[in-house]
Amino acid sequence: MSKLLSTFSARHLVFLAVLLAATVPLLLNIRLTHTASDETKRFYANINSLPSGSVVLISFDFEASAFAEIKPLADAVLRHCFRQNLRIIGLSLFAEGTALGEQTLSRIAIEKGKTYGIDYVYLGFRPQYTSAILAIGESLPKEFPTDYFGAATAAMPVLSGVINYDQIATVISITDGGMPTYWVDYAVTRYHARLQTVLTATMATSLYPYVSSGQIQGLIAGLKGAAEYELLLNEAGGGGRGLLAQSVSQIAILAIIIVGNVVGYLGRRRKWQ
Amino acid sequence: MAIATLAAAIVTVGIFSFLYRDNPFYRACEHLLIGLSVGFSLVLLWNSVLIPKLLQPLFVEGRLPAMIPFVLSLLMLLRLKSSLSYMSKPVLALVIGSGAGVSIPAMFEARVLRQIAASVEPFGVVGDGSVSALMLLGMLISLVGVVTVIVYFFYTRPDTKAFNGASQIGIYFLMVFFGATYGYTVTSRLTLLIGRIEFLLGDFLHLL
Repeated sequence: MSKLLSTFSARHLVFLAVLLAATVPLLLNIRLTHTASDETKRFYANINSLPSGSVVLISFDFEASAFAEIKPLADAVLRHCFRQNLRIIGLSLFAEGTALGEQTLSRIAIEKGKTYGIDYVYLGFRPQYTSAILAIGESLPKEFPTDYFGAATAAMPVLSGVINYDQIATVISITDGGMPTYWVDYAVTRYHARLQTVLTATMATSLYPYVSSGQIQGLIAGLKGAAEYELLLNEAGGGGRGLLAQSVSQIAILAIIIVGNVVGYLGRRRKWQ
Repeated sequence: MAIATLAAAIVTVGIFSFLYRDNPFYRACEHLLIGLSVGFSLVLLWNSVLIPKLLQPLFVEGRLPAMIPFVLSLLMLLRLKSSLSYMSKPVLALVIGSGAGVSIPAMFEARVLRQIAASVEPFGVVGDGSVSALMLLGMLISLVGVVTVIVYFFYTRPDTKAFNGASQIGIYFLMVFFGATYGYTVTSRLTLLIGRIEFLLGDFLHLL
């Protein structure tokens, strides 16, 4: 036992502290009271303002490694879209996001009692995102003659009248990378599509300039964004559940940084003396 | 318990075991992740691109125009043999040329012209009473930030006090950006950790 303990270092104590800070609040199941930010309210209002039956193109542009952060965000936005009776066209420009996107879309659709082909469709993966985004601007039916499962899309009611971005009320890129910038470059700039984005927190600072310029009309990011969206929707989800764990973990990290610096400073001072 | 849940729990613990030290269990999980990821992508590309967009039109439907991408693809594969790799260069040139032709005008408009316009446009409505003093201050800070950061990246600038001072201010703006991005990144990584703990406690152990 003493041999095992001797292999632990200060690094391991830090990991243990963060693990406990993230785990205990989840077990306590306490929900923090919080308010929605202006960005989240704007995203929510944009979706809320769409008339029933409007078409929303949702692109699942993320990798499996980011799914834990993306899931509560995607769930909340999809619930809102289905609640508004919007027609959803799902696709993916990232290979890894393809199956996860389909699973997420189907799960929420089933939860909301929606029918495949009528209320939503999943078109699957397209490589070379530049070509894919441009191709949708020319002709979506031509680019996607079949869906993810190989069924012909021509007769599907959900795609009735949809030719290109002109018939799509908004594009939502759900992503863990810089994909919204490509949607801005090609779909927004060239075809005047209306774009909103759902992001991991890491990417938020890089994309805020596009929100300020109006090229992206709405942005929600990270677990806090998910919690805020759930608050506006008045539906419980992964965002609200994880908010306390995240706050406690952040406080723990701040405390560790302060303690680490104090200990380091005292150690150096002892050496000087 | 579903096999998928059990497998996901084992692999999650395996990956987290690296926090103690590098070990064979972690290595196995890492290799599994890479292998699955590459395998999945290959199958997806085969099923959703190569068959419906190339092989089926060419060999089943007999559409001759599909011969063009087929031949170009084969030429691209000749890169693998050094004595014939020169034959792939025209294809590569075509890809790079068309890619640049499509992306440069679009990116210049979206990322440069529109962003410059967004930086100065708000000043056009300052006189009509719709801009508060606080908003004006924010706009000015933003404009100073844009100009000084550009000066910082202007490497052939004259060595004068004005330019060096502006460049120094630009560094502070960059530090604020990096700080905010780092804060968001830490938050993001914590969310991933919380997601996996939530899975272990909820789906696997049924404690939530």
